[in-house]
Amino acid sequence: MSNLFHLIYNELKKLYIQKSSKIMYIVLGVIILGIAIVSNSVGNLGEQYEQENWREVLQEENKELTQEMEDKEAFQGMNTAQIEKNNYYLEQDIQPVSYGAWQFVMENEMLLSVVSLLTIIVAAGIVANEFRWGTIKLLLIRPITRTKILLSKYITVLLFALFTLVFVLVFSWIIGALFFGIEGIDPKVVLDQGDGLAYVSVINEIITGYGYKLVNLVMMATFAFMISSVFRNSTIAIGLAIFLMMAGNQIVLFFAERSWSKYILFANTDLSQYANGNTSLIEGMSLGFSITVLLVYYAVFLLLSWLFFTKRDVAGS
Amino acid sequence: MTDAAMELINVKKTIGNKEIIKGLSFSINKGEVFGFIGPNGAGKTTTIRMMVGLMQLTDGDVRILGKSIKTDYKKAVREVGAIVENPEMYPFMTGAQNIDHYARMIPGITKERIKEAIHIVGLENALNEKVGKYSLGMRQRLGIAQALLHRPSVLILDEPTNGLDPAGIREIRQYIRKLAEEEDVAVIVSSHLLTEVELMCDRIGVLKNGELVATQAVNDSSTNTNQHSEVSMEVSPADKALELLKKDYEMDVVHQNGSLTFKWDKEKIPELIKFLVSHEVSIFQVSVSKSTLEDKFFDLIGENTIE
Ligand SMILES: Nc1ncnc2c1ncn2[C@@H]1O[C@H](COP(=O)(O)OP(=O)(O)OP(=O)(O)O)[C@@H](O)[C@H]1O
Ligand SMILES: [Mg+2]
Repeated sequence: MSNLFHLIYNELKKLYIQKSSKIMYIVLGVIILGIAIVSNSVGNLGEQYEQENWREVLQEENKELTQEMEDKEAFQGMNTAQIEKNNYYLEQDIQPVSYGAWQFVMENEMLLSVVSLLTIIVAAGIVANEFRWGTIKLLLIRPITRTKILLSKYITVLLFALFTLVFVLVFSWIIGALFFGIEGIDPKVVLDQGDGLAYVSVINEIITGYGYKLVNLVMMATFAFMISSVFRNSTIAIGLAIFLMMAGNQIVLFFAERSWSKYILFANTDLSQYANGNTSLIEGMSLGFSITVLLVYYAVFLLLSWLFFTKRDVAGS
Repeated sequence: MTDAAMELINVKKTIGNKEIIKGLSFSINKGEVFGFIGPNGAGKTTTIRMMVGLMQLTDGDVRILGKSIKTDYKKAVREVGAIVENPEMYPFMTGAQNIDHYARMIPGITKERIKEAIHIVGLENALNEKVGKYSLGMRQRLGIAQALLHRPSVLILDEPTNGLDPAGIREIRQYIRKLAEEEDVAVIVSSHLLTEVELMCDRIGVLKNGELVATQAVNDSSTNTNQHSEVSMEVSPADKALELLKKDYEMDVVHQNGSLTFKWDKEKIPELIKFLVSHEVSIFQVSVSKSTLEDKFFDLIGENTIE
């Protein structure tokens, strides 16, 4: 065990000592800061509902939104949704919380696709780079099985995803707190849950929202890792994984008519399709079905990585 | 029990349908320095890759201290330190970070041992520089330090002199001799330059087209040089001498500008001189060049062609 620990330590060290990893975090930080600056200068996030007169503030806001809609068609959808939410607060007589760090974190959920992208890049390089650098030879001639070395690399990819996720959460929260303040310990807001509006905990939303997206992240990272082990080339791995990540939904739509389309990986990666009693696009699919399909793909990816990494010769390039 | 540190038993390697290694069998004893010589493409690196488990054997077995690389990989490879082809390291890490990386992969390597290994190759002053900035010789030294870390019983160095300056080669040569003599390490040094390793080896194996065409103890080479000394004589008249040697001694003689060159046993040169003088041939100069291992090497591999 301590052996595996040392291997993972080595892998993390090799990963994070490289300039490219530092640049990844800088880019993420800049994106988060940029979102905060843009949100701060646009929109009416600054509304304060803490005073006694929060009902008037809401009604005033609704008026402004209606006015804006009449002036500009484009705002129709967004503003209607906001007005509905405001009415929900008024009808249920719930005093809304102001915008703050927690809601900023919740809205940054989309940044998980950037985290996916970065994790794919890392997963694609972690095996292939050793071949490119020629260091694979000195790495493998140790009294350690290839299986264990591969495992340490895979765990390192997952740890990278975890650390980067934590970075996004914590940095978003700090930036959110600096720009918008903190809206309490466990704030609740009204959100559209697909089957209508509901009054929900923001932290709960953060956990489920990020959680659902993690499924896709882990699958695509594992896919890139597999391609990297099979072809020993990171460019192919990055290209294929990113292409599939982008085109995944289109692929499903394209084949939606076929009976086997439900077995496509991307038809199953979004488990939120089953949340709140929704039924999925394609017939015959359920949460259990999707989890089974995901596990089969996952096992195949890992098995192929393992087979190619442990069985193939390390010959000259 | 034998003294073999490493044993190759009918090792074969076929890639695609090309047989690259055609049944190698030899063993290297503890405390012995074995020179693995062969022209480009002979299969030295391929054999070394199989010795350390980077490539699977198509047939045969490699045993290190009796443990099979095929069935007892971890224990076998624990006893091996190696550099295979170029000593590639992580260019974005310093020399020290690279060494620490490898040290962490084998339990029981102390800080002192790391220092010792660095000291042996004389790399103390460059330790905190990035390996990307190292010269080839410096990387070679770091590679050797990495191979020594865990005090292996078998040290395999694929062209270790590649990139080293003459002083560096001499240092490594001395150190390899010391390792073999004092610590009983079996050392395998591959090279296509015989002269570079001749001085440090106890025994030499010549590989050609995936076959071991000869093994030869280095110290023996000067004693059994019968027929192998090359003799040059400056004589006059040369034509007459040529006739005499061809007729009476049935020799292969090359005649060039009054100088005759032929192969002859050194012990019997005085007899030859007497014979020529008695036939009124004037001799101005006789020179004997000792046949070196190098000549023998070229004799063995013949034309240096790559199949
Ligand atoms: N991956 C491979 N696929 C096919 N043939 C290969 C492969 N690797 C090596 N060979 C062939 O095997 C033969 C031996 O190569 P090897 O690298 O072992 O030679 P070498 O003795 O180390 O030569 P050098 O002195 O140039 O280092 C060559 O003919 C080479 O073309
Ligand atoms: Mg070679």
